[in-house]
Amino acid sequence: MDLLLEGLTGVFQLNVLLILLMGIIAGITIGSLPGLTATMGVALILPVTFGMEPVTGILLLIGVYFGAVYGGSITAILINTPGTPSSAATAIDGYAMSKKGLAHKALTVSTVSSAIGGILSVIVLIFIAPQLATFALKFSAPETFALAVFGISIISSIAGKSMVKGLIAGFIGLLIATIGIDPIGGFPRFTFDNVNLSSGINLIPVMIGLFAASEAFRAMGSIFSTRKLTIVVEKVKLKWIEFKILIGTILRSGAIGTFIGMIPGAGGDIAAFVAYNEAKRFSKNKDGFGKGEMKGVAAPEAANNGVTGGAMIPLLTLGIPGDAVTAVLLGALMVQGIQPGPMLFENNGPIVYTLFVGMLVANLMILIVGLFGIRLFTKILLVPTTVLTPIILVLCVVGAYSLGNNYFDVLVMLISGIAGYFLMRYGFPASPIILGIILGPLMESNFRRALVMSQGSFDIFITRPITVVLLILAVITLFSPLLTRKVKKPTTEGES
Amino acid sequence: MKKFLWAVTLSALALTIGGCGEESSGASSGDGGNFPEKSIEIIVPAAAGGGTDATARALANEAEDVFGQSIGVLNKTGGSGSVGMSEGANAKADGYKVTMVFVELTMFKHLGLSPLTYDQFKPIGMINFDPAALTVAADAPYDTLEEFIAYAKDHPGEVSVGNSGTGSIWHIAAASLEKAADIKLNHVPHEGAAPAVTALVGGHIDAVTVSPAEVKTQLEAGNVKTLAVMADTRSDIIPDVPTFGEAGLEVNPTGTWRGLTVPKDTPDDVVAKLEEGFMKAAEDEDFAEFMKTNGLGIELKDSGEFEEYMKQNEEDFGEIIGDLGLN
Repeated sequence: MDLLLEGLTGVFQLNVLLILLMGIIAGITIGSLPGLTATMGVALILPVTFGMEPVTGILLLIGVYFGAVYGGSITAILINTPGTPSSAATAIDGYAMSKKGLAHKALTVSTVSSAIGGILSVIVLIFIAPQLATFALKFSAPETFALAVFGISIISSIAGKSMVKGLIAGFIGLLIATIGIDPIGGFPRFTFDNVNLSSGINLIPVMIGLFAASEAFRAMGSIFSTRKLTIVVEKVKLKWIEFKILIGTILRSGAIGTFIGMIPGAGGDIAAFVAYNEAKRFSKNKDGFGKGEMKGVAAPEAANNGVTGGAMIPLLTLGIPGDAVTAVLLGALMVQGIQPGPMLFENNGPIVYTLFVGMLVANLMILIVGLFGIRLFTKILLVPTTVLTPIILVLCVVGAYSLGNNYFDVLVMLISGIAGYFLMRYGFPASPIILGIILGPLMESNFRRALVMSQGSFDIFITRPITVVLLILAVITLFSPLLTRKVKKPTTEGES
Repeated sequence: MKKFLWAVTLSALALTIGGCGEESSGASSGDGGNFPEKSIEIIVPAAAGGGTDATARALANEAEDVFGQSIGVLNKTGGSGSVGMSEGANAKADGYKVTMVFVELTMFKHLGLSPLTYDQFKPIGMINFDPAALTVAADAPYDTLEEFIAYAKDHPGEVSVGNSGTGSIWHIAAASLEKAADIKLNHVPHEGAAPAVTALVGGHIDAVTVSPAEVKTQLEAGNVKTLAVMADTRSDIIPDVPTFGEAGLEVNPTGTWRGLTVPKDTPDDVVAKLEEGFMKAAEDEDFAEFMKTNGLGIELKDSGEFEEYMKQNEEDFGEIIGDLGLN
């Protein structure tokens, strides 16, 4: 507690707070732009921090990281363009709410959920990080494989109107994920001697194409139609009673995010989908999901911000970076002379607790900046389609290119956009494709790595408790929507 | 009302343009006399935030003072680096587009990933080298390389060694060890070195062959022990650990390296100027300090030595990759 108080005085200095705020705002901007990810934002700002005091420098990076994770949801909700893969799940119900004119409310839900999810994860980080870290280390190839299978099973709950079309979309994603060098054998698959294909199809240009470009193409179809399609931005605020209904979902999703965040190799994108799925499972109004359900926005946002604190757990307590962002943060800490690991709390106690307090403040800042910004963000919807559509397309191209300064990514984005347009027209949902591309490689490489480790014995999947539990969860998740549909069919035939 | 959109668009443009550096197309002849007359661009065929990117940016920072011109860094990812390197090899041969190449350049051909080879470049110089370090769990029943080899001989194919991907340099390093010591190991590929180290700490695999920097944190925490490094000299990062030679096993130094190159047809006087400037920058104290805090080893080779080194690497790797059946 003394150390926490010390941390408070370390953070509540004007220059530290201002730098943190700058980081948050820069992060939100980076996160909301498709193609610029949290990792890229943190890596680009990293050199700036070398000349700073340790606490100030690290908090700037943390601000960018947290801000970017939140920022991705803004464009996901307003223009169906997830700024980062972590917000792909948010787009499903967030954009549906926007179309109903409830953009203001959707953004409020996303902001509040992000902040609460983030704060929850930091609290977990402060109090039980070492215990959880030991558990995270138990996750090896078979466990991660089982987690990926569990993630894949979620396709059945985000399939939308038609289960068959949802599953087809999921398999399209899995097929795309097979392109590139085979992760274990090292042999090129479907690369047609094109070096650009050898490292596989990058998720982000596909995502930009499927969500944003396809939407822009669709808008072009009716751009000059006499029928006005402008969305009325109603200033419907989030009511206290609605918040009370959401809080359970937010806390559960924040916990899911924290848990998935600490597992090496799994990040915000997976956490958001898992939380979405669980929110639907626990909800009484399952049919509302996909059509603008507030819980469908709250769950993924609380989860992806929950990941931020979770990812810090193995980083700070073990010196193990679980994903790309924390790998950059590890470098930043080491440049500042802070060595993460078991000795961190003894050697750098005051700095660590200052960082903890800074993380809490960062989440509060997201709440404040987000809530103040909503009025500004929603202005985007007042821009006429004739102006907005070309701008979105330009952003799609810029976003895909800036990813690796490679025109091939732009090509992938455009092809995905055209494919996405037709898929949308014929009722195929985009999210299962994204889920397939995210989880396909994770599932395949860990399945095969587990078999390499066990020297070919399948026992490795049934002798490890965590693996078994996750695989059973996967089976339940896959079949429960099918069963509920069967049971419900006589009553709601016309609707679903 | 469009303010936000403008802000978004402008910042997007600013970020991209800022990242691209200047792309002017001034006509430059083979006259190295006034070189450089405009800004130089370094193509980094890896993502922002990694070791290659860090090395390039730190070096560019120092070299700006030496050349008196701005130096931009452009990350061009894809194809394990072959996309960026191909662009660098095919760039205008005027010395204004420099490519930071790394060890994979001498492996692409053998792995069947890309027809790109080192002789499509003219080397400026090698900057960095990090050897493979054989690292095992702290509670492993072996404390020296000799004991490790004896154990592996008693348990053929059972000792699992994590690497950063099939056909990666750390996989090659483990295979070199296998060959030199005449043992059989179980190679477990991971997506990068960090996940492999995590698996070692979690007790899921028995050893890793990755760079000293990648195991340093766990080494200091007492979770792992490093038995030997695959280099001619001890690593500055872990000076207590013997080399393979000292531990009684002769193996070719194997590890990752990074260096600068220009297209093959670049005039020699321009290359000489680039070599002089970048080598001077690499000898700077600030650069040395930066590399040290990031756990990156500095090893300088001039243009000629670097070319010879890449040639040797390509021959050695061809043999090992053939033995592994990856070609």
